[in-house]
Amino acid sequence: MTDAITVLGARLRFGETAALESVSVSIPQGACFGIVGESGSGKTTLMRAMLGLQRLDAGEIRILGTPLQQGRAALRQRARVVQPIFQDPAASLSPRSRIRTLMNEVGTVLKEPHAATHERLLVILKRLGLPDSVIDKYPHEISGGQARRVAIARALLVKPSILIADEPTAGLDVSVQGDLLNLLQDIRRAENITLVVISHNLAVVRLIAENAIVMRAGRVVEGGEVGPLFASPRQSYTRELFAAWPSLASNNKGR
Amino acid sequence: MNEAMWALKRICSERDGRLGLTFTIAILAFALLGPLVSPDPNVLDIKARFAAPGLAHLLGTDNLGRDLLARTSVGTRYALTLAVLIVVISSVIGSLIGIVAGIAGGWVDRAVTAVFDIVNAFPPLILAFALIALYGKGSATFVLLVTVVFIPQFGRMARARARTLRNLSFIEAERMLAVHPVTIVVRHYLPNVAGPIIVLASMNLPVVIAFEASLSFLGFGVQPPKSSLGTLIKDGFVSINQSWWPTVTAALVLAVATLGATLLGEALRRVIDPKSAGAR
Ligand SMILES: Nc1ncnc2c1ncn2[C@@H]1O[C@H](COP(=O)(O)OP(=O)(O)O)[C@@H](O)[C@H]1O
Ligand SMILES: [Mg+2]
Repeated sequence: MTDAITVLGARLRFGETAALESVSVSIPQGACFGIVGESGSGKTTLMRAMLGLQRLDAGEIRILGTPLQQGRAALRQRARVVQPIFQDPAASLSPRSRIRTLMNEVGTVLKEPHAATHERLLVILKRLGLPDSVIDKYPHEISGGQARRVAIARALLVKPSILIADEPTAGLDVSVQGDLLNLLQDIRRAENITLVVISHNLAVVRLIAENAIVMRAGRVVEGGEVGPLFASPRQSYTRELFAAWPSLASNNKGR
Repeated sequence: MNEAMWALKRICSERDGRLGLTFTIAILAFALLGPLVSPDPNVLDIKARFAAPGLAHLLGTDNLGRDLLARTSVGTRYALTLAVLIVVISSVIGSLIGIVAGIAGGWVDRAVTAVFDIVNAFPPLILAFALIALYGKGSATFVLLVTVVFIPQFGRMARARARTLRNLSFIEAERMLAVHPVTIVVRHYLPNVAGPIIVLASMNLPVVIAFEASLSFLGFGVQPPKSSLGTLIKDGFVSINQSWWPTVTAALVLAVATLGATLLGEALRRVIDPKSAGAR
């Protein structure tokens, strides 16, 4: 089967900083894939490159076997396949539009009647534990936790086959981090979505992902199946990352 | 609408804001109501040339015996209409050009910025002279030409804002959804650029009023028999030895109008865009 996302020899510099340096990754379809690394290791940059928001200096990216292309037609096609959940979900909702307007835009792009979009939205909102009343609110009128779920709802409304979530648990209480991850996992299974989870927290990736890569200073330092990868990390860097986040991992070992 | 009410309340809560609002309302009332309580501004009454203010002519008459209250209020109305028209057109066009340049980046951005720089390099009055010399006099051309002079300011501000917005998550999220570019500009850029643009527009209103007055004073603006504040000051100035009040009245109205608009603009900026208020 073709990979959900293939990255081949990606290289990108911001001035002196090597944000990405010969990064090659294969993300298989239908599973959960983790990208882990300390802050500034290039995870968000890699995601933006995968989404076509950031051009590479060199290298190639393929989504379901199709190379990334510029242009509106390519963008429209890509939008139906891959959707992001940005690190600050509240900031990813346009501040002067009602949630209803933002959701209807998805319907317009999909050329779907607004009534049909609305029907699907209600189902998704229920699933994410959001009250219907958020629809008529402005982004600043809902809580941060709700905004995060609204951003997820909007991405799901597109019915993408790939979802890339940047630090989905950042800023969340440890007690609800697991809940959100389980919710994402359930949705992924039910909708047969490829889920890419980016986190600086190794425990998060270990909990939810089947395969993962570890990034440092723009490079992939190791990767593979999560079990063996984190049971006996070859790199001392990975061991250090692991040591930094023991709590969630041990909390959730029994799950 | 709620935001407008909120802004109005905030403006009224400070002294300069109240003063600016009072002046502005007074000028608007003068411009709107003046013509109702005075005779036709163009009727000549040669026997009553240079009449002093009195019952028949509340502000006296000019060298042709025309009623000065009528002429000054009509001139004010004309000046305000022109100024608002020019500011509105140039801010809308400037914002759209600026946003598109900011989004597009690359050579489009460089070309637009270069044109803005060239237009800005000329002192506005000189540029307006040149354009009027080329394209002739008349209200429509006048509005058009002065608009061109004022577009770059709005364009630069909108462009700078757009370049910031372009990299924010919510714009990128719209792009990732493949929402139509026109929708993105109108629904997601414009409202978020509007605040500083409205402030700049209100700050520019007195500038355009004074600008129009200077051009009319020099004979490049409004053409007779129409009157604007500039032509009134000039006409009064020519016959200042016979009577001084026509010039003084028109100058006073001009002063109150620009002062009111300036105070109001400053107050609006402190309300809408407090970060930049201390800067200038
Ligand atoms: N737009 C940018 N301009 C300049 N440097 C950037 C930009 N985006 C990211 N970087 C730099 O690239 C490196 C990787 O950043 P990022 O991908 O955000 O890391 P992570 O998401 O892993 O924390 C960092 O050193 C960061 O400072
Ligand atoms: Mg990041």
